[in-house]
Amino acid sequence: MVTGTIHDIGYRHYEGRRLGRGYVLRSLYVHNLRAAWGLGRPARAKVMPFLLAAIMLLPAAGDVAVVAITKEHDLLWRYPAYATYLQVVIAIFLATQAPVLASRELRFHVVPLYFSRPVGPLDFVLAKMAAMVTALLALMATPVTVLYVGGLVNKVPDAGGHLLRYLGALVGCLLFALVLAAVGMVVAAFTPRRGFGVAAVIAVIMLSSVFVVTVQGIAEAETNFTFAGWMGLFTPFNLVDAVQVRLLGAERTAVAVPPAPLGGPVALALCAVLVLGSIAVLYRRFRKGADL
Amino acid sequence: MTVLRLENVSRWYGNVVAVNGVSMTIGPGVTGLLGPNGAGKSTLIHMMGGFMAPSSGTVTLDGEPIWRNPGIYRRLGLVPEREAAYDFLTGRQFVVAMAKLFKLPDPGAAAARAIALVEMEYAQDRVIGKYSKGMKQRIKMASALVHDPPVLLLDEPFNGMDPRQRLQLMDLIRRMAAEGRTILFSSHILEEVERVAGHIEVIVAGRHAASGDFRAIRRLMSDRPHQFLVRSGDDRRLAAAIIADGSARAVELTDKGLRVEAVDFRRFTWLLPRLSREAGVRLWEVSPSDESLESVFAYLVAR
Amino acid sequence: MPIIAAQGLTMRFPGVTALDDLTFAVEPGVVGLVGANGAGKSTLIKILLGLLPASAGQARVLDLDVATQGGPIRERVGYMPEYECLPPDVSATEFVVHMARMSGLPPTVARERAADTLRHVGLYEERYRPMGGYSTGMRQRVKLAQALVHDPRLVFLDEPTNGLDPAGRDEMLDLIRRIGTEFGISVLVTSHLLGELERSCDHVVIIDGGRLLRSQPVAAFTAASGVLSVEVEEGRDALGHRLAAAGLTVRPEGRLLLVDVAGEHTYDLIRDAVVDLELALVRMEQRRHHIEEVFAAPQAPPPQAVPPQVERTW
Repeated sequence: MVTGTIHDIGYRHYEGRRLGRGYVLRSLYVHNLRAAWGLGRPARAKVMPFLLAAIMLLPAAGDVAVVAITKEHDLLWRYPAYATYLQVVIAIFLATQAPVLASRELRFHVVPLYFSRPVGPLDFVLAKMAAMVTALLALMATPVTVLYVGGLVNKVPDAGGHLLRYLGALVGCLLFALVLAAVGMVVAAFTPRRGFGVAAVIAVIMLSSVFVVTVQGIAEAETNFTFAGWMGLFTPFNLVDAVQVRLLGAERTAVAVPPAPLGGPVALALCAVLVLGSIAVLYRRFRKGADL
Repeated sequence: MTVLRLENVSRWYGNVVAVNGVSMTIGPGVTGLLGPNGAGKSTLIHMMGGFMAPSSGTVTLDGEPIWRNPGIYRRLGLVPEREAAYDFLTGRQFVVAMAKLFKLPDPGAAAARAIALVEMEYAQDRVIGKYSKGMKQRIKMASALVHDPPVLLLDEPFNGMDPRQRLQLMDLIRRMAAEGRTILFSSHILEEVERVAGHIEVIVAGRHAASGDFRAIRRLMSDRPHQFLVRSGDDRRLAAAIIADGSARAVELTDKGLRVEAVDFRRFTWLLPRLSREAGVRLWEVSPSDESLESVFAYLVAR
Repeated sequence: MPIIAAQGLTMRFPGVTALDDLTFAVEPGVVGLVGANGAGKSTLIKILLGLLPASAGQARVLDLDVATQGGPIRERVGYMPEYECLPPDVSATEFVVHMARMSGLPPTVARERAADTLRHVGLYEERYRPMGGYSTGMRQRVKLAQALVHDPRLVFLDEPTNGLDPAGRDEMLDLIRRIGTEFGISVLVTSHLLGELERSCDHVVIIDGGRLLRSQPVAAFTAASGVLSVEVEEGRDALGHRLAAAGLTVRPEGRLLLVDVAGEHTYDLIRDAVVDLELALVRMEQRRHHIEEVFAAPQAPPPQAVPPQVERTW
């Protein structure tokens, strides 16, 4: 006897688990982190981030090679200085990737699709900020780690001191990541038009830097070093360096930093205000952008 | 009598042929221009409105070519589909501006008349940016009517309107047609066209597919059997009788009644009541199922 | 148990009342929502999703209170927006999987359901290409898929046939009907096209100027009127006279004759008259009412009919 069966491939209901807020937050975080590096999008989205990451690594690798060849251990760059040396590269990364995270969903009106699900605006913003911070942290911490490991391999003296400075630099990298992400994401979220986001972020970071350096130059010419120091709080890289110098014991890399004892705490407080303020601003922006 | 005439009109953009050898005559009354998305309706309307020149062929109004003929614009009103970017003007300012553009002797009065015609007096002092979609359509219509043109061209005028606004606009169109104007509107929503247009022109992929009253067009489609739904007191008996005759090609028994494919429309419609009477079967319902504009349209698109 | 129930629901914006004292209840099935202008409709959807607190009144969706249980509502409801909302450089598969995960589906389940849902809405190989190149019909399907992928109990479809040509519209309406019947998911559809709603919905809610105009099953709107439409190829007037002479109430309308149904014999009278006069019978059917008739009653537009234009940020 010959038999046959037809299987039901009609619509199936789902009675299984629905995972909660933690899972959704994690998924959103991973999704955004991948987007920050161009993963999960067409190939040309990967070019900029990975190219910039490679450019970030080259000087560190080069420096380690020089130290290895010349055996001049002083030539190993100071860890906390790396971010400031390569600020242009980092700024470009921020400028190209912040719009991807902060404005694409606004531009294409995808936001309502999230909020009509059990995803709240706060979770949405936190996941994106965390992803941007992680991406920037990876960008900056990797070359610094290369320097440190290079130092170890080349047996630079005072390993303990180096370790301390390395860890301090990592904290500094985290601060850089937080502040830059805050500034970049806010600027990008308000410039959703194509290309404007990139230009706007670059403009904000670079112009503030140029402005501050100019004023600092004038101030120092007038031997008003205190003023020059406080001015440093008005541009991101200088601001974080102020914290590194005053609170983490690093050597100064920026033009000028505000004087002790207030300089460090004020700079740190300002960082906190920037980060929390940007979260609040982004929260409002996405809630508004979710208008059905 | 204002008559728009297109003779062998084509319009291409590089290799893309938007309109391909179309000839048609649009006279007084309401004509519906139908076609699937991207069939070339907008392009045709813009050529008729003088916004674009045909790549070949002629587009004339009462014998005069429309392109680059400023005198003719006074006789045309065009309401395009795209939103006009005048969000910062109030409704009245916008219509008055249009009136002034047409160099009307009394722009304020003309504007007031046009705005009254579209029943937008209550919102005329509000900024256009704050209008709903339906309101924006109506104010655009007012601006196209301000110079009282005998020819009105409307590109997807009912887009986004709610039923009440739609009924109002349909009334308006009928009234204007009754005044003797020539009105052409394009749509891909058939239930709208059916209500207002006496005459349709169908465009498919840039080609002129059909023209006239849609029922007449349906009769012309002799290669497609007419579908009927028949409910009777004894469907089986009736089915047997119908099949025995040659006017139907297929009869299907369904729970809704008999579905008949009639290859000979005239004969079948004459035969059916006769057969039922002879067989003593009561007829409850006779419905042609593909006489609608929708079916006619589907058939035209499929050719 | 009604899937949506509103009680005195009101939404006031500065200068305008978008929703005014709405009270209605809808049983599971396919429900049409019509007439509300842009702001009223989207306001209502936002309130039902628990995203916007109403100025006054209550509403329950799936027996959950929109004011306090917004989160649980959004877990069980799908939403298909009217406007464009798809990123162009992502494929349909990726997008729907991501949305499934956003609704709390574990990764494997998300993948499987995304694939299945895309098949049900009719997207095949196209689903692997970036959505930027999709036609309107394909985009509507993806929007529908992301609304269904997490197996909601109710979906809000906002103008799902927008921008579709007649064939596409038919397919979408069939799909909506299937969702309501085969898939067992209740649907709230908004549309301006009453013919569509008559075809696909069980129940229709009509809102006019923020107020409830009607809320009743489609069958009640399209009840038979007790009048027959009769159409003959030629000889309408001769038929008309003959039927009148036989005692029926007849009046002409366009190409048709409208005959009041006096009893069962009316049908036979018509048939026999047609045969005797050697005419061709094209049509004899019950004249039904249409939803549209509700709007034909003249009504001056109330001042609140002007919607607030919520400031567009994009």
